[in-house]
Amino acid sequence: MTNVPTNAGSAEVTALDSQARGPLLLLLGSGLVWLVVSGFLALITSIQLHSPQFMADCSWFTFGRTQALRDTAFIYGWGGNAGLGIALWILGRLGGYPLRGLNWSVVGTLFWNLGIAAGMAGIASGDMTGFSFLQLPRYVLPLLVVAYAAIAMSGVLAWSGRRTDGMYASQWYAVAALFLFPWLLCAAQAVLLWWPVRGTVQAVAASWYGQAVWTLWLAPVALAAAYYIVPKVVGRVLPSYESAPLGFWTLIFVGSWTGGRHLIGGPVPAWIPTMAVVSASLLIFHYLVLILNFRVAFQTGGTAIRFIRFGLIAYMLAGLAELLTSFRGVALHTQFTFFSTAIEQLGLYGGVSMMFFGAIYYLVPRLTGNAWASAGLVSGHRVLMVVGIVLSIVTLAYAGIVQGAGLLDDKTTFATIFGQIRMTLVVNSAAQLILVTGNVLLLVNLVRSACPFTNERPATSIFRQPSKLEAHAS
Amino acid sequence: MKNGPFLLLGLFTALGVSFAAIVLGAHGQLGRLTPFYDDAESQAYPQRMQGVAARGQLVYADLGCAACHTQQVRRPDYGNDKARGWGERQSVARDYIHQPRPQLGGSRLGPDLANYAARKPTEEAIYGLLYAGSATHPSYRFLFQERELVGERSAKAISPTGALAPKPGFQIVPTERAQTLAAYLLTLNNTYDYPEARPFVAAKKGEEPKK
Amino acid sequence: MSTSPQSDPRVDQAAVTDESLLAVHEKLLGKQPDEKAHYRLMPLSLLFIFSGLIFFGGTYLGRFSGHFSPQVYNEYAQPPKSGVAAAPVDPLAQGKAIYANVCAACHQVTGLGMAPVFPPLAGSEWVTGSEERLIRIVLHGLQGPIKVKGVDYMGAMPAAGPGSGFNLNADKVAAVLTYVRKEFGNGAAPISAQKVAEIAAKEGSRGPWTAADLEKLP
Repeated sequence: MTNVPTNAGSAEVTALDSQARGPLLLLLGSGLVWLVVSGFLALITSIQLHSPQFMADCSWFTFGRTQALRDTAFIYGWGGNAGLGIALWILGRLGGYPLRGLNWSVVGTLFWNLGIAAGMAGIASGDMTGFSFLQLPRYVLPLLVVAYAAIAMSGVLAWSGRRTDGMYASQWYAVAALFLFPWLLCAAQAVLLWWPVRGTVQAVAASWYGQAVWTLWLAPVALAAAYYIVPKVVGRVLPSYESAPLGFWTLIFVGSWTGGRHLIGGPVPAWIPTMAVVSASLLIFHYLVLILNFRVAFQTGGTAIRFIRFGLIAYMLAGLAELLTSFRGVALHTQFTFFSTAIEQLGLYGGVSMMFFGAIYYLVPRLTGNAWASAGLVSGHRVLMVVGIVLSIVTLAYAGIVQGAGLLDDKTTFATIFGQIRMTLVVNSAAQLILVTGNVLLLVNLVRSACPFTNERPATSIFRQPSKLEAHAS
Repeated sequence: MKNGPFLLLGLFTALGVSFAAIVLGAHGQLGRLTPFYDDAESQAYPQRMQGVAARGQLVYADLGCAACHTQQVRRPDYGNDKARGWGERQSVARDYIHQPRPQLGGSRLGPDLANYAARKPTEEAIYGLLYAGSATHPSYRFLFQERELVGERSAKAISPTGALAPKPGFQIVPTERAQTLAAYLLTLNNTYDYPEARPFVAAKKGEEPKK
Repeated sequence: MSTSPQSDPRVDQAAVTDESLLAVHEKLLGKQPDEKAHYRLMPLSLLFIFSGLIFFGGTYLGRFSGHFSPQVYNEYAQPPKSGVAAAPVDPLAQGKAIYANVCAACHQVTGLGMAPVFPPLAGSEWVTGSEERLIRIVLHGLQGPIKVKGVDYMGAMPAAGPGSGFNLNADKVAAVLTYVRKEFGNGAAPISAQKVAEIAAKEGSRGPWTAADLEKLP
């Protein structure tokens, strides 16, 4: 087992981590498996985009269903599992005591994954709901809520029983994500699936949920990781940290109001899209605070920091793109096109997932008490991710612009538009292939690193002893 | 921030306010919309969907047709939905009040279908596209059955040609799902002009109301 | 404190401990003044930007929210003054629909009627002539012989006004009469709903008229 250094209080690898090893590795591992599954599904959808007959006669994989399966595996499978694992670990670390209630979290993880698998089978066999990001049939959702609560409980216990009274930014963000998601999911499934509201109110509720999943659940987990890892690795106080609370509350209070941007020009009263524009502009402040706080991330290298840096930049670019496309004059050209897909990809893959990867690279060695098994796989994964993400976003955005121009010209038929963007979509398929290959590398590396029979060196020789953070004007 | 309860209170307030304002607010405004009774025609609009069409909408939803087709027309001076012949006026909330699960969609890889039936497609054309597909449209052959031809040919049987033609002595018949889907598509016709859907005529300069 | 070089890509070294990370950052949020007796709440520039964004948001919302009206779909529009402005009904269109439902079975879509029971409306002096008589016929019905365009007809026209089987209100009676007076090459002046309501109130509910009764009226 891991060597526990004597001065456990300030050591880098502590008993805290070795106890949480199994349950957290289970969460992260299942998250990665779902990511790979989602990657293969994304590959299928991207091929269907340029070759519509691909797998078309197989009723389980019509384009609409494959897309829903891809999103479900990504959001709930990858985002849910990995996000919970990261949030739990950070809350445990900052709480200062070993995580409690981990048995519950293991049971919860099993049922969470079971629920997603059952739901995906339901989608494939014809029970899809058709709301974006909430395609899961309603019969698995109560199970998911209960399973989520069981997993999240140990994080909440770690937070409420923390050693120090004060709270750090990572804790706000992680607690927000843990607490808000079950309420979000309950509220959305109540008004959409159990007691459906009427007509287009469903579309409003679905857009609210789709936005909140991203701004109140996945993004806060990713930011919690960034707020923890950046100062830990850089060894500097975060500059302008006193603005961080306002940045946090801006995201929490305003973030979920921007869903109406998907309904511009649609059958909803004008105030709903207008509200989205206003909230998206207020979010600029949130991004500004992040820029100020994370200036220091550019002062050092390292695997985790590189991923998180990329993630932060992508996250802010996605926010900026969301703002721009929520103005009606811009939306005229980008709405209903691949451009919105590109923004989604930028936020979810480039932003959230890259920060998740950074967190995983940072925390797995501390869980296993050993370095990652292979340096080649680490850098291979990083290169493939960067290339794949940039390539897929550039191709999708370009296809979106061409498609938008075509849609605005009423002489251009859909066949012409399709002909214009077909090659771009083929390149996008290649990007999806790169992404899924990269994620397989990460999964292999995780399995090899977590395998208990790899030769272990004492943790003290792997991890340098950290020093005390000194407060100095930044 | 030191105060745990303060954090929790803030989080729930944030979520509650946004849910109440956006979802419940929209529900309060649009949740009780009534059909519009037209005196001139002694008829209420929109008209209810027939049972078979409502079932067809579920087929439309579960196959994920909304991944490529929207069902929302934008107003004539915003985009060129009108020029493409998708609708004379913008879609409004009242169009959807009888639909159990409106399929607004968010992506246009194919034409908008909000007023598909107004463009007078035939049932055979729908079956033809679903069975054979095209360069831009996938085929959905699992919605059809190849049945042995016993006695008279089914009235619904389709006659694809070339490589897709049925074996001699067989016929290709749409399944019940395909028939409900076609029935649904043939009811998509929201051309009635509601007062709130009329185009807005901009006020002249000077008359512009103050903020 | 210097940044620690990250030599091994397989493991990220931590530079600082969790405890000091928590303590130092917590102190920054504390409301105590620092050594120079400055409160570090927020840089002034950020405060400016924040208020600027809120101002922009408020302005934009005021301009493009359509006063949060459920009737407004165009962000440039203002809500209608008094709820939904009911569309002004075109009496000719409404009259045509009512004619098709109520009258056409006997008088025919062409308005030519069918001898010897159903008199024609096209070119009929009863239709283009006195408003008083025409309104009364539709309100209360007509029984017995009637001479139209020099031909005798013998039939019974049911009442169509309020309280009758057709229960047309004054608006609808006016609409359908306006329609028949305009159509079939008649080209007579329209009939107002006011006039219809006036006569309906004056006569109350009564049985069908006879041609002789009507001829006493102006």
